[in-house]
Order: sequence, then structure tokens, then C-alpha cells
Amino acid sequence: MSQRPAQSLQTRLLTMVLGLVTVVWLGAAVLTWFAASHELDELLDSHLAQAAALLVVQQTQTEGDGDGGVADAPELHKYAPRVAFQVFHEGRLVMRSSNAPLLPMSDTSVGFQTVHLGQRQGKGTSWRVFATRGAEHDVQVYVGEQVGSRKTILWAVLRSVLVPMVIALPLLALLLWWAVRQGLGPLRQLSAVLGQRRAQALEPVDLPDLPLEMQPMVQALNALFLRIEHMVASERRFTADAAHELRTPIAAIRAQAQVAQGAGANTAQRDHALQATLAGCDRATRLVEQLLTLARLEAASALTTSPAVCVDLGGATRRIAAELAPGALARHQTLELEADTPSPVAGDEVLLGVLVRNVIDNALRYSPDGARVRVALQTEAGQTVLRVDDSGPAMAEADMARLGERFYRVLGSGQQGSGLGWSIVKRIGEVSGAQITVSRSALLGGLAVVVCWPSSHLG
Amino acid sequence: MRILLAEDDPMLGDGLRAGLRQQGFQVDWVRDGLAAEREVASGEFAAAVLDLGLPLQDGLNVLQALRARKITTPVLVLTARDAVPDRIRGLNLGADDYVVKPVDLHELGARLRALVRRSSGQSQDVLRCGDVVLEPSARQVRLVGELVALSTREFDLLHALMLHAGRVLSREQLEQQLYSWGYEVDSNAIEVHIHHLRRKLGPDLIQTVRGIGYTVARSQEPS
Repeated sequence: MSQRPAQSLQTRLLTMVLGLVTVVWLGAAVLTWFAASHELDELLDSHLAQAAALLVVQQTQTEGDGDGGVADAPELHKYAPRVAFQVFHEGRLVMRSSNAPLLPMSDTSVGFQTVHLGQRQGKGTSWRVFATRGAEHDVQVYVGEQVGSRKTILWAVLRSVLVPMVIALPLLALLLWWAVRQGLGPLRQLSAVLGQRRAQALEPVDLPDLPLEMQPMVQALNALFLRIEHMVASERRFTADAAHELRTPIAAIRAQAQVAQGAGANTAQRDHALQATLAGCDRATRLVEQLLTLARLEAASALTTSPAVCVDLGGATRRIAAELAPGALARHQTLELEADTPSPVAGDEVLLGVLVRNVIDNALRYSPDGARVRVALQTEAGQTVLRVDDSGPAMAEADMARLGERFYRVLGSGQQGSGLGWSIVKRIGEVSGAQITVSRSALLGGLAVVVCWPSSHLG
Repeated sequence: MRILLAEDDPMLGDGLRAGLRQQGFQVDWVRDGLAAEREVASGEFAAAVLDLGLPLQDGLNVLQALRARKITTPVLVLTARDAVPDRIRGLNLGADDYVVKPVDLHELGARLRALVRRSSGQSQDVLRCGDVVLEPSARQVRLVGELVALSTREFDLLHALMLHAGRVLSREQLEQQLYSWGYEVDSNAIEVHIHHLRRKLGPDLIQTVRGIGYTVARSQEPS
């Protein structure tokens, strides 16, 4: 099976939170970049325009007293080389900054333009140039500023955003790691508790101060433990009981066979022992068949409930009663049958037959010789009821309640049985949706077993 | 040797009783725990075979009750419960042996003889008294090495006396050890058997203690 390696919850949380923080931060930086760049352009452009306007005004006022030479403005600031200006009067350059070229910096006479200048200085630089002229069109002023200086300012702004982030991220990661670790503490505690348990330990997990989110999980876990415990206990009891029930007939067969072997000339003893051996084999066979039926039933119910098919229980009951009648007659028992036809019941015909057979067989088996067993099958308003009364010994309330536990049988009944028949009846009842009640028979004084298939089941 | 069998399964009980009788045991059979406790407590039995899943009272409870009453009759537990904790519990509660079903009848017989032998302080299967040697497992008696033919009752009587060598056993005690329920015992049956034993094995082996019963002298263990 190819499976991705398990990922730590802590790593996932940490990665996600840090990733999101980085993305948001970077987004903020980009926004800052654009906003700052726009504002900076506007601000600096307005400065250029203002400077140009000042130059125009100044040139207009000093008109006439020009000596014909070109005046160079002094450099007064470290940013000065990045700023340049030219003043032309009637097409003649009258004043410029020391870094300004002799030719007009821009092609346009009015407005902004970004140009490439300074080819002759080795490498070119981009300039933002504002051109304007005086009212009489005799004064032409160019004011330029290196674009690079705007970039420098922008980078400085961006740095002020990014540097704290670069410093803060590892710190944030460390703090987040700690916080997530603290937050996941209960999970780690749970896994430690589970890890330390023995494989067979099934007692519920008890953790104090469990967070709200983990409570359903731990509750589900505890419920699972409880179910497994019940299952294990039931299986253990079943194994122990099955061992007892299977070993006893085998021990009897072995003992009787050995008696027959050692009987020597005593033929009466040998015949008796051989007969008992055969009876023991029949008993073991019946037991094994019942065990197999039960195993198949448990497997079947674990799969699916088969699609409900309508079965006429009347015919099946009549057939089963006919099969059981010879055995009953041999013990001078009376078996009566009163069955409505048809008696429709939804379910598997074979399983329902097994149920009917076991109920009737139990009544005959645990009733003494000469007893009366009455089987009645009635259908009223779509509800089918199977009722088996016997005149055998009644059963104590406590024993009735325990009927259907695998291998439970009433001790001292003098009958050889495994108690499996009832388990089978109960199981089929569950599968076919029947209600089974056991009570004292008002009719015959023994036990009354009532199996009722509700009408809604057919609907 | 009289054994009590406590087993609630009719077929198994029948088989065990017949098989043990074939090996010369006197077997009485009870089917519930209360009867088992009562009969073992009567002291008439040399040993008991006890099933654990008995009606009315569980076998382990029977065992516990017997040991609480200081009744030391050897008890062999015969059960289908084979888990080690079950065995340990059974032995701790006072079982002298723990056998899981199904069991070989000859093994069961041998274990019972061993239990009885040990409970009477013998370590060997063979009992000796002077020139008389008794082998319980083979049910044979030799006098100076020669096989002596004894009836079942004679053998059982001699076995009982030799097991309790040095002790005086009353006629009633001997009858209890020899006959299981339902036998009509003639009032002089024991005297008749003693007479036959003296005739076959010599007059000095069994001594009469007048008014009390009979005894066999404890022999010196051969060095």
C-alpha cells in the first residue's frame, strides 16, 4: 500500500500560519510600494512644476540685465546632482545647473516627459523633466530630476516595511511553534496515555481537563473500548463453554468405547457401552450442527439482512411437526398442531424453519414422557404469531431471563442439551424482526413460547 | 477401593462408572454438588472424582467446603475447564489432582490409585507385609513370590487392611470400603472373607482385635 508519510499536525499548523502571515505581509508591501510610488510621483512632480514656475518668474523679472553668459547655479545639497534645470531665453541658454546639458532636456515645450540623458558621461540615466515657458513664449524652462532618486526613496520605504518582517518572521515562527505545541498538549497527552496501555487494556481513558473538541473523540474511543470488552468477554465465555460442551460428549464417547473394549466376555455390558457410544456420537453431531448454524447465523447477520421474501410459515411448521412427531410418539408425548394457512412471514425460509424446529424440539426435549405439546400458528391483521405450549416442568423466572445465552441451560434438567438451541432461536428472531417471549403456559402448565412477527414488518 | 463419582452428565457418568468398575473399583455415583459434598464428608470413600460444573453447587465450592471442614479425602478434579488459571485455582482450593476431559479410563484409575496410595503414606505402588506382596494396579497378590488367586472382595479387603497397616479397622469400616450402595451385605461376610484370606496367605497376616476389628502389622520397609 502506498501511503504518504504521516504529517505532523504541528508542522501543518505552523506552515500554514507562517505561510499566510508571509503572504499577507508581502501583499501589504506591494500595496505600500504602489501607493508610495504614486504619491511620491505626484509630490515630486509638483515640486518640479513649482521649481520651473519659480525659474520662469525669476527669468522674466531679470530680463534685460542678462550679460549674455550662461550662469551656473551652485550645488547646495547632496541631492543637488540629481536635480538639474535649464533656462532658455528666446532660444538661448541663459542659465543651467552644472549637471544640466547644453541642449534642451526635453522635446516638449510644456509638460512632463521622461527622457534618457547623459550619454556622453559614459552611462545614461533616466530623467523626469518638466518643461514650461513664460507667458510671452520667450522664456523656456526645463527642470529635471533623476528617476533613480525616486527609486531610492521607494526602496527606502519598502525596506522599512520588509526589514521588520524579516526580523519578526523567525521570532513569530518560534512563538507560534510554542503556542501550537501548547495547544496540542491534550492530544499528545492522549497519545501518551494510549501508548502506555497494554494491548489488552480495555478500561476507559480518563483524562482531566479535556478540551471540548476532544471530548467526542475520547467518548467514542471509550465506547469502542467498552464494546470490545463486552465482545472479548462474550467470546471468552463462549470458548470456555464450548470447550466444556464439546469435551463432555467426547469424554463420554471415549469412556464408553473403553468400557466396551474392556468388557471382555460381558456382552451385556459391551452392548450397553456401544449403544451409549453411538448415542454420544449423535449428541456430538447435533452439537456441532448447532454450533455451525449459530456461526453461520452470526456471519449472515454480520453481512446484510437478505431481502424480505414472504414465506408461508404454515406449510413449514406442518412439515417440521411431522418430522418431529415420531420421536414424540416414541416418548408417548402428544404433539398438536393448529395452523392457519397461509401464514405469511417475511424472512428466509430456511432460517425460519430452523427457528420453528428449535422451539418445538425444545418443548418436546425438556418435557417428560407422556407430556403434551401444543403448537398454534395464527395470522391476525397481517401479524403472525407462533405459540408453543408444553405441559413440562415450569421454569424459574431467573432461568427464563437467561434463556438464549449461549450454552445456558437449566441445570439438573436431566436432559442432554447444550443450550445452543435457544441461542439460535433468539438470533433468528433478531434477524427476522420477531419478538420472542417466554412465559408460564396458562394452557398446559409448562412453558409457553410466543414468537410474534409484527405486521409492519411486511409492509 | 471405593470411589465417589460426582458427574452430572448421564452418559459420561455411566461410562466412567463402568470403566472404573472394570478396573476393580467400587464406584458410587452422585449427580449434584450437594450430594457430592455430603457423601465425601461421610468418609466412606477412599477418593472422589469431582466434575466442576455440577448442579446445585459448583465443584470448586464443594472442594472448598470439604477442605474447610478438614476432610482430607483425596479429590481428583475431572473437568473440561483446561485453562491454566482454572487448574491453579482448582489445585489451590485443595484438589489433589486435576484432569482435563476427555481422559483415558486406565489413566484415571492409575491416578486414583496413586492418590489413595499417597494419602495413606505409601510412596510405592506395591504394598508389602512380611512375605505377602500386593500390587494394586495389577490386582495381584504374591506369597513368597508365588501368585495367589483371590476373589475381588478378598483382594479389596486385603488391600484396605494393608493400606492402613498398623491401624485397626472395624467391620463396619471394612464394609463401607468394600461395598457400594445397593448391596445387601451379609452380617458375617467380612468374617468369611478374612477366613479365606487366612487360609490362602497363612494365619499370622491378619490379626483379630477382639471386639474392635482387624489389623495388619506395619512391616519394616525393606532396606
